[in-house]
Amino acid sequence: MKENISQSIPRSDAKAKLRGETKYIADIPFDKLLYAKTLRSTKAKAKIRSILLPKIPDGYFVIDQHDVPGKNRMRTVVSDHPIFAQDDVQYIGQPILLVVGEDRETVYNILAQIQVEYEEERPLLTLEEAENSSAVFTDYHYDKGNPCAAFQNAKTLIEDEFATGYQEHVYLEPNGMAAEFKGDTLFVYGSMQCPFYAKGALLETMDLADDKVRVIQTTTGGAFGGKEEFPSLIACQVAVASLKTQKPVMMIYDRMEDILCSTKRHPSKIRYKAALDENQQIVALDIDVLFNAGAYNGLSPVVLQRGIFSVTNVYHIPHLRVHGRNFMTNSVPSGAYRGFGAPQTIFGTEMMLYNIAVKLGIEPLDYKARHLLKRNDPTCTGGRIHDEVKMFEILEKITQMSGYYEKIKHSPKYHGIGASLFLHGCGFTGKGETVINGAIQLTKKNQEVTLKVSSVEMGQGAETVLRKIVAYTLEIQMEQIIFEKTDTGLVPDSGPTVASRTTMIVGGLLQQAALEMKERWHEAESFEVTRRYNHPDFLHWDDQKFHGDAYPVYSWGANVAEIEIDPVTYELTIKNLYGVYDVGVPIDLRSLEGQMQGGIAQGIGWATIEVMETSQGRLIQTNLTNYKIPTAMDVPEMEIEFISNPYEFGPFGAKCAGELPFVGAPPAVAAAVSHALKKPINHLPIRPEKLMEIDNEN
Amino acid sequence: MVNAFHPETLSKALEILAENPCTIMAGGTDLMAQKARGFAIRPVFEHPLLFINHIDELKQISLEDNEIHIGACATLSELLESQLIADTFKDVIRQMASPPIRNLATIGGNICNASPAADTLPYLYALDAQVEIQSQTGLRTLPIREFIKAPKTNGLQNNELLTHIVLPNKEFDINFYRKLGQRRGMSLTKASFHGLANVTNGSVTDLCLALGSVAPTIVRCELTEQLLIGQSFINIEEILPTVLNKYSEIIKPIDDARSTAKYRKEVSIRLIKNFLLGLGK
Ligand SMILES: Cc1cc2nc3c(=O)[nH]c(=O)nc-3n(C[C@H](O)[C@H](O)[C@H](O)COP(=O)(O)OP(=O)(O)OC[C@H]3O[C@@H](n4cnc5c(N)ncnc54)[C@H](O)[C@@H]3O)c2cc1C
Repeated sequence: MKENISQSIPRSDAKAKLRGETKYIADIPFDKLLYAKTLRSTKAKAKIRSILLPKIPDGYFVIDQHDVPGKNRMRTVVSDHPIFAQDDVQYIGQPILLVVGEDRETVYNILAQIQVEYEEERPLLTLEEAENSSAVFTDYHYDKGNPCAAFQNAKTLIEDEFATGYQEHVYLEPNGMAAEFKGDTLFVYGSMQCPFYAKGALLETMDLADDKVRVIQTTTGGAFGGKEEFPSLIACQVAVASLKTQKPVMMIYDRMEDILCSTKRHPSKIRYKAALDENQQIVALDIDVLFNAGAYNGLSPVVLQRGIFSVTNVYHIPHLRVHGRNFMTNSVPSGAYRGFGAPQTIFGTEMMLYNIAVKLGIEPLDYKARHLLKRNDPTCTGGRIHDEVKMFEILEKITQMSGYYEKIKHSPKYHGIGASLFLHGCGFTGKGETVINGAIQLTKKNQEVTLKVSSVEMGQGAETVLRKIVAYTLEIQMEQIIFEKTDTGLVPDSGPTVASRTTMIVGGLLQQAALEMKERWHEAESFEVTRRYNHPDFLHWDDQKFHGDAYPVYSWGANVAEIEIDPVTYELTIKNLYGVYDVGVPIDLRSLEGQMQGGIAQGIGWATIEVMETSQGRLIQTNLTNYKIPTAMDVPEMEIEFISNPYEFGPFGAKCAGELPFVGAPPAVAAAVSHALKKPINHLPIRPEKLMEIDNEN
Repeated sequence: MVNAFHPETLSKALEILAENPCTIMAGGTDLMAQKARGFAIRPVFEHPLLFINHIDELKQISLEDNEIHIGACATLSELLESQLIADTFKDVIRQMASPPIRNLATIGGNICNASPAADTLPYLYALDAQVEIQSQTGLRTLPIREFIKAPKTNGLQNNELLTHIVLPNKEFDINFYRKLGQRRGMSLTKASFHGLANVTNGSVTDLCLALGSVAPTIVRCELTEQLLIGQSFINIEEILPTVLNKYSEIIKPIDDARSTAKYRKEVSIRLIKNFLLGLGK
């Protein structure tokens, strides 16, 4: 079998999912199963004075901090979130204890009778309040060039400020986990992206030896980052419950509970000072990035890192001063979400350039093109753009496809067209890939090859794509490649399924292993090949100074959005969305087009209709009746193309693709709206409520 | 345990109601959402359930004396399929919920639930629909606006059922309906406007305006409509400020998870203005 790798093949998981045959965690039977439900804080910030329990019937249990054998903290980047609240609660929805038992209704009724006596304290409710109180979790700085001198010598100084809101993942399958002991070994099953993250957390919380914990990923109905670190918390909770009850314990969230207490995209505020020279070129930027991390820092430091390392987007800015901070507020913790901090900063930077261009009377896309990075240019952190940049080819294609230059000149009032240029750093930030040092294994047995990775299928097509890479390299049939169950007892740790790293990094390792296996194919009936990741040695990164190559390579893209605003109601219609992407070489065109369309839809949602607000620390939109994500009726016609730009270290030349499309859509839509109304758009989401206000201002 | 009745006929249903207070379950699309307690946990009802959505007499749609009689348990999908229902009304219904929900949801449920965001109501107000209410002791008829008392409150006694909705069989020259939701499909209304008018020779001969989701109940003001009826398009432009002021007084929206009071008010006024100024075009 030697075919074009980009040519689409059927997804291996599609048939069963379409037929409704696939089993998710909630469908899996266990013998003598107990169900768990969580008692949650109803206060934004309080000391817990006392907890009054009703009489607990036989066979029912209350599980709390005192039952945790090891550390009562969830292990992640900053291990600060308690598994169960200790003496205080820091946000509405924080888990305090579990009620566990055989009958769900009884569990629910017991829970409803528990009374918690709180001593309320003054909470920090908003990013503004947190900034004024200097409630800083993480504080990062980096400079490039000589920003001081550049600002002193500037011809023009321009300031601008941007803000973006929460976003909920709305994976189809809410969070769910189950745990059981078989002998002295703990088995945890559930919906997740990162089985080894969950395992790491369980080892610490359960105080068990490495070989006594196994984590098994069950079919995961979507994740988008929402099942990166968060499932570790539920995993630990059901594990503690299973230890105490000596029975299997399952906890499945309903939608409301999931929205209320699972992580969200970080709300942000981003401030810019730009120094322009006599040619109106931006020579220096001073950027202040503020993220609302919520009540616990958790994964937020690395989200902030990607945010501030993506902040100059596709542009070459010689002098930089970048300040990034995560703030603590008494609200639900923010966490991983497709794009991982970059959508916020890239939105800010795209609109900052757009606003300056409009102010200067220069066509925005032309103005942006004047600042484009080229091969061998320094990145914002003083690394290099090592590979060829095909932005001009992308630009030419997208402006032709969309008729951009025609339409920008001749749009009637309330019609607009806008463009965004963007990139995404492939794989982990900084030293991430080196630290994880991902491992994979291929095992040959007779004519079959078993592929062992901890990278999960979660609806994105990883299983098909990884099998395809191995099959095409070995030149054997897809059916001969078996994807091993994602069970930490059976597969090596190839790293978490995040950071758009699966195809490029894990797929790259698989291709290397497959090449070796191909050479040795006739050596024996059965043997195995193992590979570990090595960062290409020309890449350098200093984690203290934030200096060097924050990413090995970038994927690039451009979007054009055409919109129309109803002059009476200010409802926004996105009519067309064009995308041209450089993701190296597409491994499977249909799968990739799905990623692009989905990413655009999700980006449009964040940019326009996904409103999530809080009042006194309480989320206002807590169900899908009032938190709306786009349906087919809200998504525009999309025209998507790829240009080829093979990457030496990626499988078949592939780079990253999963997060890239999310990043591009919001600024394209915002630019189009700005074009239609002739007003700056500095806030997301762009609701009709806001547009009416903006258009009324004169 | 849930106690439930499943009568085969309307008279049997009324008999049950006469004997016990019941929770009436039609399509259940409002009721089950209101009573949801959590994943895989049964809802709890104070009273026994009385299922009515299978009762034939309550599902008929007929034309009598130039009036459309709609059984309370006709589903939204059945209304869309009926030849007797005006396209104007179908326009409204097509923008409600989604096909699976419309297959269950009944018009009676939409009315009885008495939500300010119930989408059939602006049209029913605009047409001065009557509702028929039955108990074992008899039948009474109320104009829709008297039936709806307040959000979530209707004019039914414990022993009564809403059985029919009666509409005049008419269409208007001009029909303009606009539902604003957080998104285009499967979305509850944050504000809606229904304008219906007849025009002859440059003036308005009949007109009704109804607004949804911008006050505790549907907004309709006959007094102001009377001011407009009989006027030429040019005159309408002149009295427009007076008309809009009047509506401004009676539109009393709230801030909630879906929208803001400010937007709801302004968009309503803009929709009225847009409609009235568009009459001549
Ligand atoms: C996903 C979703 C989307 C929705 N979208 C919309 C929308 O776009 N627009 C909209 O207006 N609504 C919408 N709804 C609300 C709901 O579907 C409608 O209000 C529907 O018409 C209710 O009818 P039902 O038969 O399901 O009512 P039920 O839930 O059975 O009953 C509603 C109430 O009316 C009472 N009742 C019902 N019938 C009678 C009767 N004949 N006599 C006396 N009392 C009665 C019940 O006791 C109950 O209190 C939506 C609901 C869902 C779940």
